[in-house]
Amino acid sequence: MARRWMRFAAALTLSLATAGPAAAQAIEDELVLITPVAKTLTDPALAEFAKYAKEKWNVTVRTSALAAGTPVAYGRIVEWKGRPEADIFWGGESALFDKLTEQKLLAKLELPQAVLDAIPASIGKPKPIPLKDPKGYWTGTVLEPYGLVYHPKVLARLGVAPPKDWDDLLDPKLKGNVAQCAPTRSSSSHATYEVILQRDGDVKGWAWLKRLGGNTGIFTARSRDVPSVVAKGEFAAGFAVPSYMAFEDRLAGFDIKFVAPKTAWITPEPIAVLAGAKHPKAAQAFIEFMLSERGQRVAMERGVFPITPKYRVQGAPGSRAEMAVEFTGGLRSYFDVEVNNIYDDSIAQARYEQVNQQFRKEVEAAWQELKK
Amino acid sequence: MKLPRASVAVLGFGLIWAFLILFVLYPLTRIFYDAFTTDAGHFTLANFHEFFTDSFYLRSFWKSMLLGVATVFTTSVIGIAVAFLIVRYDFPYRTLFTYLTMLPLILPPLVGVLGFVFILGRAGTVNVILMDWFGFEHPVNFMYGLQGVLLVETVHLFPMMTLSILDALSRVDPSLEEAAQSVGAKGWRRFWTITLPLTTPGFVSGALLVFIWTFADFITPLVVGVQDLLAPQAYLNIVQFVDRRIFRMGLVISALLVMLAVVFVLVARQYVAIKDYSSLTYSRVERRQLGPVARWFAVGFLGLLMFVSLVPQIGVVLAAVGRGWALTPLPVEYTLEFFEQVSIQTPRFIVNSFMFTGIAVLVCLVIGVPMAWILGRTRAPGRGAMDALTTLILAIPGTAIGIAYIRAFHYPLPLVDVPLTSMWIILPLVLAVRRLPYTVRGSFASLLLVHKSMEEAAQNVGAGKLRTFRDITVPLVWKGILVGALFSFITSIQEASATIFLTLGGWEMIPFGIFTFYIAGSQSQAAALGVILIAVCAASLFIVNRIAGARVGGLFG
Repeated sequence: MARRWMRFAAALTLSLATAGPAAAQAIEDELVLITPVAKTLTDPALAEFAKYAKEKWNVTVRTSALAAGTPVAYGRIVEWKGRPEADIFWGGESALFDKLTEQKLLAKLELPQAVLDAIPASIGKPKPIPLKDPKGYWTGTVLEPYGLVYHPKVLARLGVAPPKDWDDLLDPKLKGNVAQCAPTRSSSSHATYEVILQRDGDVKGWAWLKRLGGNTGIFTARSRDVPSVVAKGEFAAGFAVPSYMAFEDRLAGFDIKFVAPKTAWITPEPIAVLAGAKHPKAAQAFIEFMLSERGQRVAMERGVFPITPKYRVQGAPGSRAEMAVEFTGGLRSYFDVEVNNIYDDSIAQARYEQVNQQFRKEVEAAWQELKK
Repeated sequence: MKLPRASVAVLGFGLIWAFLILFVLYPLTRIFYDAFTTDAGHFTLANFHEFFTDSFYLRSFWKSMLLGVATVFTTSVIGIAVAFLIVRYDFPYRTLFTYLTMLPLILPPLVGVLGFVFILGRAGTVNVILMDWFGFEHPVNFMYGLQGVLLVETVHLFPMMTLSILDALSRVDPSLEEAAQSVGAKGWRRFWTITLPLTTPGFVSGALLVFIWTFADFITPLVVGVQDLLAPQAYLNIVQFVDRRIFRMGLVISALLVMLAVVFVLVARQYVAIKDYSSLTYSRVERRQLGPVARWFAVGFLGLLMFVSLVPQIGVVLAAVGRGWALTPLPVEYTLEFFEQVSIQTPRFIVNSFMFTGIAVLVCLVIGVPMAWILGRTRAPGRGAMDALTTLILAIPGTAIGIAYIRAFHYPLPLVDVPLTSMWIILPLVLAVRRLPYTVRGSFASLLLVHKSMEEAAQNVGAGKLRTFRDITVPLVWKGILVGALFSFITSIQEASATIFLTLGGWEMIPFGIFTFYIAGSQSQAAALGVILIAVCAASLFIVNRIAGARVGGLFG
């Protein structure tokens, strides 16, 4: 009986597979991303790419993005075992891309050398943040800081000054008003907790995190929820990882503010083509497009920073690009300023599960006591 | 070639069993396999040992139980009161209330709790008014905590309780109550000692469904920041793949959810014969006129209840048309852009929803109607097992089914060399499996209304079993089948828990769209899709209501 069903399924798949034209073309007519990058950035990027492909090759590319948090996206790629349902993995931590390379799940980038050369190898001191893979499997696409968001009206009501640094979240007046997403739930949040742990060392760092737990009013399921609940005014402040998601709330008309503390980490939002991808040419073309001025401009409109010193966020007064500059404190390019980074990704990855476990035990499970 | 009739029947019977084994039993065994093995594939109990020695998981376990019991209690009080009023008494707008009281049931997942947060959250309408107008210094915490989950579940699920006891209540033989009255048991005493016990079967099945639903809901608790419950733990642990140990614990918790659901079903069965199928038979009960004060009291109670039940809908509609709504009682800026974005700009949520749900309902009919017939009209072997399986499907949490499917069907199929999880047909399939019981129940119940003698008469004049089924039975029971199918439709189109794990790019249905918009932080678009879904379901429910009156209760038994 099972066979019967399989034949039925087989017939069905065949009819589906033959639906699209399969003529030899410069690039394939389809492109699928799997990405934790918000659709507010992926949608315009894909739409602009489709336009570009039409102009350049006269190919109509059907694009889609499979939205998934970094851990889920990573997990699915691993589960696909080299037969991916998507062509590109975009976003998340570069360490995960290295892990995928080790498992032979990424294809090498085929970009013109000039394009790659325009991207500096790293940014920041004392711990440099790599912006591209020396082995050539992934490259950064944009820069974005991990910082804090707050709602000015709620803070004013509580009589608290706008935060400038991480420590301002520990203000006792903020009790019950901080939103956070546990490091077990989000790899980008995880990175922010590591910034604290690496800044203060283990003993002081964990004491800090427990104090933050005491101020916390909600543990959200995902890091993206933190700016959402702050934008709505449900909670006063929290980590915004990364900045551009909070910027979307600003674009949506909410009165939400962002600040990047001095030790804020920045991520290059890596991108890579999956090994065994069904549309490898379209995938390579998309990455090249994202690194071109046109692609970088699309991204800058959504509140992120260029990955090369060649461009700066700039637009007509009142444009989205200018709003983004105002939102992130007047910065136009990370290559204009001294980037101070203390976050060491190799330390973080080596103790990833241990930090999760300790956080779960000492903060999440003890939350009721910490609040007292 | 003409096959003998008997072998056609055997073939059909075999196909149905093949379907059940392949798409229900096999995936479930797969998550049990995961839960009881190590990464290397050796048998182990260590996973469960870890669960029952971890204080956080244990707390989740007990809190889930507590929440389930509390929800059963609140929904019972409200649900029974509503059912009693509707069945026994006449009062103004009674018919309208019969329809309205079912409306909360069609609140899509996520949308209900979001709507509540918009109105009752820390920055919701009520708190803003309290703080700005009444000088409250701090917002009242209605939502963030177990109380918020309880509120949402109660409002959402009390109609399930009402429906479950509605029929039982209307079938209580009036003579029993009259007898009680004649020996002096009046009012409450009569209600407690005679009426209520007689509705036990309906009540128990309703309670079971409410309990399991609450138990398996992970979305509502997550929105209000409650993570120490079983279903959210299963979900959160599974959606992060990086930490393999936490991932496996997610599978273990899913398996535990299934086991507990099975235990609850067995216990409930022990207590009463849980499926009282004749529930669609409807002996007319004389409705009493309420006195002038009491009738307005009844209208007042139901009106207030409806108002509270409509809070989430109001919140969702406001969020769908409001731009940048924060810290004001009502949105300041209004727009229709969100509706445009989710319907005209990206019509695929709506298109996929109708397509997949349509296919799912077809599968439900093709498999479910013959199943009902086998259960009701034949003495085929294995009927008991088939029946038990149907009840079991109702009890299995959607999350667990979704996870089971992704674990069980990600191997390439022979011939096509593509795993089932990569083909969109898996979505209608999982929907059909989830909602099959409604079609089976609906068809079965109306099958009981057709007196066997009609079919016997047809057979006497030479019609075979299949022909009798086609020419006599189906025309007589189509209403029941249609109601069952519509219910399968309504519940399928709202399904999120099983499909969230299985959806790939391009297959998004409305609930998945709601979920991804919410994840992306676009609550307004999520709300707009929610409003569309509510409208579709309200219309379908209205049709059900017109066809069947309030007599859909038997579906849940």
